Amino acid sequence: MPTLMLRFKEKTVGKYHLKKGEALTIGRMENNDVVIENLAVSGRHAKIDSMDDGFLLTDLKSKNGSFVNKQLVSSHWLKHGDAIDIGKHTLVFAYEEGEPRPDDAPAVGMDQTMVMDTAKHREMMAKSPAKMEPQMPEKEEPIGVLSFLAGGEGEVELSKKLARIGKKLSSDIVVRGLMVGQTAATISKRPNGYYLSYVEGISKPNVNGETVKKSVMLKEFDVIEIGSVKMQFVYK
Amino acid sequence: MVIVESAGVTDVGRKRKGNEDALLLDDDLRLYVVADGMGGHQAGEVASSLVVETIRDYMKRFKEDGDMEALADYHEIFSKEANQLLSCIHMANQRVHQASYSKEMYRGMGSTVSAVYFSHETLMAANVGDSPIYLVHDGSIDLLSVPHTVMAEQTALDPEGAKRLGGQFRHMLTRAIGIEETVEADICEIECFRGDILVISSDGLSDKVSPEEILGVVNKERPDRACRLLVDLANERGGDDNVTVIVLKIQKVRHEKGGIIGLISRIGQGLSNFPLKKYLYKKERSCDADSDA
Repeated sequence: MPTLMLRFKEKTVGKYHLKKGEALTIGRMENNDVVIENLAVSGRHAKIDSMDDGFLLTDLKSKNGSFVNKQLVSSHWLKHGDAIDIGKHTLVFAYEEGEPRPDDAPAVGMDQTMVMDTAKHREMMAKSPAKMEPQMPEKEEPIGVLSFLAGGEGEVELSKKLARIGKKLSSDIVVRGLMVGQTAATISKRPNGYYLSYVEGISKPNVNGETVKKSVMLKEFDVIEIGSVKMQFVYK
Repeated sequence: MVIVESAGVTDVGRKRKGNEDALLLDDDLRLYVVADGMGGHQAGEVASSLVVETIRDYMKRFKEDGDMEALADYHEIFSKEANQLLSCIHMANQRVHQASYSKEMYRGMGSTVSAVYFSHETLMAANVGDSPIYLVHDGSIDLLSVPHTVMAEQTALDPEGAKRLGGQFRHMLTRAIGIEETVEADICEIECFRGDILVISSDGLSDKVSPEEILGVVNKERPDRACRLLVDLANERGGDDNVTVIVLKIQKVRHEKGGIIGLISRIGQGLSNFPLKKYLYKKERSCDADSDA
């Protein structure tokens, strides 16, 4: 398996072994695998993941950045001989002699769509949950909540992809009123947020005092009025 | 009830020998699907057409048999129709996965899938992989699909840094149909309005033509001509990959209402431009104010 040589001012000050299926973290804080005590280095500066046969360096939004062969990178597949500059230190990535090197393996066919080996990826995460999870892209999305200001009590979590508001008893939020439609409005969860849409009935929904004729994206603290109900949209 | 004008085109492009994309336009089922297959020796074509056929077959069965059997994994957070669409995608995954072990040359094949389905009142957009589903509403274009690529996930972590990522990340998927025994699709269910336009495509289009350019074309042209123009544009810019586009224009949305309330609200809607409605509305509001007090 490849190694990382930590060098500072022409001297080797450390040697680390990378293992298949294991992640390695680099930073100033003591809980990193490679600790570099230097103020130019962020607490959690970068990480190296083992993916398929290769190793992927990812900068963890460090203050001063990570450089590979003098180029600023946010992500980089490591090749034999790559020099990673972090602060004033350099980490040299090298395969052992005679070890098979996945030369450009992950880069096969730049235009060809391919799938990451997610099974391995997951296995790796399962092995070191404490290390990996906070560094993975955020999967935990905040959940929208409607809290009643009038016409009801408590709050309703928008856990469904589509919540219905209206007179129909099967609605997620039942609103009374002669002019309120069976389904007066719906709230959809879309990739970029929650959207409130008017559906039917004479009484149209109202967001921050503005009548909604079609649909609007909800912002936190928006006040929604439908018939006799008044609710505030917040994230939990 | 939603009335849709639909059109779709798939094109081999300028560089590839075969077309690994597949598409489905079914105005009876009101189901529209793009699948972008991958895998050598025609396996990509096999995977993408399996995906499209499976989704159509199962959606048809759901429609014909009504509720059919209870779904094994029914999720309360989705509507019934969304659950049906998701189980079709799961079936497609299972079929491609099984087929990939049936022949040596199919090993490792997979596909993306992006599907739009109209139920009585809403539209559902579900996807696995990186084939985009755009919604054009009130002059702006938004993604309804979630791109499952390393690039997109890195962008969530570090938007600035991701811009400097190498090209290989653009096409590296974090999930796809047929690769593993199970797959999780992203889905959203929304109201649609008259004049809304949906565009489903393979990355052969989205790599070459920006969302704003797509917006410009579909806003001006009818669906069939818009598809042709978009494919031509991708080909003029190299046509490196197969190009597939579906354009759906919402012509009409009618909500089914019953009884006297339906009648009142229909009359009310007819009168919506007259002061009477404002009067009624105001009156209702003042009643509410009373009850609040």
